[in-house]
Amino acid sequence: MIPEISDLALTEPGTIGPCHVGPDALQGIKRQQTNPTRWNGQGWHPFAAALRDSGIELRENIAACGTFATDAGGTAYGLPHGVVIARSTAQVAALLKAAQQLRVPVTVRGGGLTTEGESVAFGGVLLDMTGMSRVLHVDSAALTVRTEGGIFWHSLAEELRRYGMDYLSAPLNLTSSVGGTLGVGGIDVNSPRLGCSADQALSVQVVTPRGEIVECSDTQNAELFRRVILGYGQFGVITEATLKIRRYTPLRMHYFYYDSLRTAVEDMQLLNRNDASDYAGILTIMDCAVNLLVAFDSDEREAAFKENWQVQLRGHGEAGFALCMLRRYALRPWKLPEAWYLLQRKRELFPEFRRPEYLRDGLMHDRTVVFSRAVWKFWGSKQMVIPDLATSAEKFVAAVERGNAVCRKYFPHYTLYMVGIKLRAEHKPHYEMSCIPPDAEGWAYGCEFEPMMDDRVYSRDYLQSFKNAIYDIGVDLGGSYYRFGGMMKGYIRRVFGDEVVNRHLAMKREADPAMILNRDVIF
Amino acid sequence: MRTVDVVIVGAGLAAAAAAKRLVDAGLETIVLERFQLPRHKICSGILSPRGHRFLLENFGPLPRETLHDPASCRGVTFHFPSMVSMPMDFYGGTTPHLHRKYADHWAIQRSGAEVHDQTAFVGLQDNGDHVIVQAKKNGEPVEYRARQVIGADGPSSPVVRAVYPEYQQSIPWFIVGQKFHEIIECPLDEQYFHFWFHPDLGHYTWSHARDGRQIVGVGFKRGDNFAKKHANVVNYFSDKHGVRLGEPLDDEGCGENFGPSLINRYVFGKGNVLITGQAAGFLNMIGEGMSCALHSGAICGEAVVEARLRNRPMQEVYRSMIASEVRRTSDQWNPLKIAFDRPHEADFPAALMALGWRDRAKVLRDMWNFVVLYKEFKWGRQIMRAALQRPLIGGYSMRNWL
Repeated sequence: MIPEISDLALTEPGTIGPCHVGPDALQGIKRQQTNPTRWNGQGWHPFAAALRDSGIELRENIAACGTFATDAGGTAYGLPHGVVIARSTAQVAALLKAAQQLRVPVTVRGGGLTTEGESVAFGGVLLDMTGMSRVLHVDSAALTVRTEGGIFWHSLAEELRRYGMDYLSAPLNLTSSVGGTLGVGGIDVNSPRLGCSADQALSVQVVTPRGEIVECSDTQNAELFRRVILGYGQFGVITEATLKIRRYTPLRMHYFYYDSLRTAVEDMQLLNRNDASDYAGILTIMDCAVNLLVAFDSDEREAAFKENWQVQLRGHGEAGFALCMLRRYALRPWKLPEAWYLLQRKRELFPEFRRPEYLRDGLMHDRTVVFSRAVWKFWGSKQMVIPDLATSAEKFVAAVERGNAVCRKYFPHYTLYMVGIKLRAEHKPHYEMSCIPPDAEGWAYGCEFEPMMDDRVYSRDYLQSFKNAIYDIGVDLGGSYYRFGGMMKGYIRRVFGDEVVNRHLAMKREADPAMILNRDVIF
Repeated sequence: MRTVDVVIVGAGLAAAAAAKRLVDAGLETIVLERFQLPRHKICSGILSPRGHRFLLENFGPLPRETLHDPASCRGVTFHFPSMVSMPMDFYGGTTPHLHRKYADHWAIQRSGAEVHDQTAFVGLQDNGDHVIVQAKKNGEPVEYRARQVIGADGPSSPVVRAVYPEYQQSIPWFIVGQKFHEIIECPLDEQYFHFWFHPDLGHYTWSHARDGRQIVGVGFKRGDNFAKKHANVVNYFSDKHGVRLGEPLDDEGCGENFGPSLINRYVFGKGNVLITGQAAGFLNMIGEGMSCALHSGAICGEAVVEARLRNRPMQEVYRSMIASEVRRTSDQWNPLKIAFDRPHEADFPAALMALGWRDRAKVLRDMWNFVVLYKEFKWGRQIMRAALQRPLIGGYSMRNWL
């Protein structure tokens, strides 16, 4: 007799199905489906009709849908049934109401800079937030800006400059959207002083998965605010946000070069602990050329640094480092190809950071443009594969060194980007189940491990093994990750534990009974 | 004539993995299977932990119906003529004992592709910008027009035959047959897959428990007599291991292509036709082909998506992407890797070191005697050449591939 295939129905979102193989299968680690099943399309036609009745433009042609086939990660491919470009909060609310009623998955996308397929729709409707990209109001006196959620950071920066203002912190990759960044974190080289990008939000307007429009902040609908900030898009769509801003200042840049990851990290942590700089971050060429970037907003801060802290840093200047490298490779002639690569990379990279249109009188203007250009030109390839580790200050060196060993094993060339994040004690509830590790006090530290793909083509399988090897370190050390959604969501229960995840799952079910908003990202 | 994006021939695990990637990316995909689904499949069903993880991450947890009894396997035990036995546990813990009939059906259903069963592939015609696939559904001719065709139809692949008519004559073929016996007494641990390095028994001799019966399997060169070979193994088990079995209740056998992974001679297709899974030659050591079928199938699907969406040459993309799976699979057969690394999913060097030095010497001698059995295929030089390539170019040469 042919047995019925009983478990064909989808496992309840967010839960892990039963394992019939054995309690110790896969080392007893409960794993779950991380490559989502394409939504079957049931209820699509009534949904499409409902949208058209409400005057919402829905694009179903293959060209419109195909535009969103993948994200910056370039490994997950999916196709929505239709695309809606966000035009207003009311329109988003109407869409979510219909979707909730007809159980149609909604994937929200800003700049599409996710790397694990979080902004890729495996069927259902894709809501493109870039249609809502206006700055609504700049208050130079109160130092705030009200903006729509779909705006890119570079557009916001451009608008703010007209008022002589600047945002506090944003990802170096400026084509991510404000709404998307508030939902996941966002780190900048000034994060050791000003915190992650999400922490600069004073209040946000959210459309909940049931289609209600709610304004929330630390004092108004505080619980929703906690869930939406760093909430990975599970509890609502951010349509508008009020952000803290500051006066624009050009930067006084200093670079220190190291040949040891550990020393550079220790020096960066020293600066952060003592509030010795306004900006501090590490960018490397593999583990041989480690650059600690230190910058200041004012001459006074720069002078204080020079007086008190510069002597304590163990990094070299450019000439000193060149000598150091010369000695290193003279003793290791078999590593000459590596030296050649470093030299080539230096020749390409350095002029980009010193372009005369941005560097005037020793000051760097529009750092956001300089960094963002460089990121896309020299680090962004057709696939941005950037697994990361986030840990407390104490565990950070170990995480970086172990992650570096994994990179060495998998790729000939790679880069590491490290930065600290100042934590806001009063925002602790925001940080639960986010990129901020639960045991971090004062500062959290993050390191991105990015292979340089050059012209090589790697299978997703190979890249996935690499990411798994990095993420296993996080489980081992008890840290967190910046990108734990989508294809990496199998790590969520492993790092945060069942109790926390189940609590969030219960909240998600309450907020989104049909589980339609950004499915398969976290739950 | 039905026009689709991709036609996949075969409805096994490689096909399911490829179909999953294609369907996710929104490509209209049809899977052709010559039998009615769910269909029987000859296989030990012992999936490696890596394959288990792939199934879970792509298709979800395995339903109970997709597993035999015992549902899991703890590891592999090697037996040697000198009567030394070496049990080795899998690194990842226990691993599924798949009931291929239902597991394959479940996976192909979960992929979301449209499946046309009872439709046998007959031939194809690659016209440059599309391929015409000829098939027979219940004896009636039927045609499909597709941009790409994926051959995921097992070792004696009709798609490979259609694209490379000479290839299958150029490689040695083995027959593996297994008989299902009633158990009277069996001291072999049912939690393990048992394998014999014994040149007198056959090229590939194994036994394990399934659904209350004991499987006795033997692999041999095409042309030998299955009944005689099998009877010899049963007598050996009885004499040396005290295994007492009843008359066989059932038997089955099929042809296998052991060679391509050993000597890095894979066949990946040409033009708009891509070959994957065991049809391409992927087979892990100890004959487990499911995990590499899943991974290579997925890579094949990704390559089609990547090449189409980014307008890049299909075969070139597929070959660059599949290199990692080739490395992993061929590493399992690479003597230098076996000696100095850990290419397998169970720890052979540790199990060897756990033995006394006398037993270690016996094991190495027995293994050498077993390897000599394969001398006639003249693989030695090719294996060594591939093994030396590995550290020099960081992989295996693509020039040997078809």
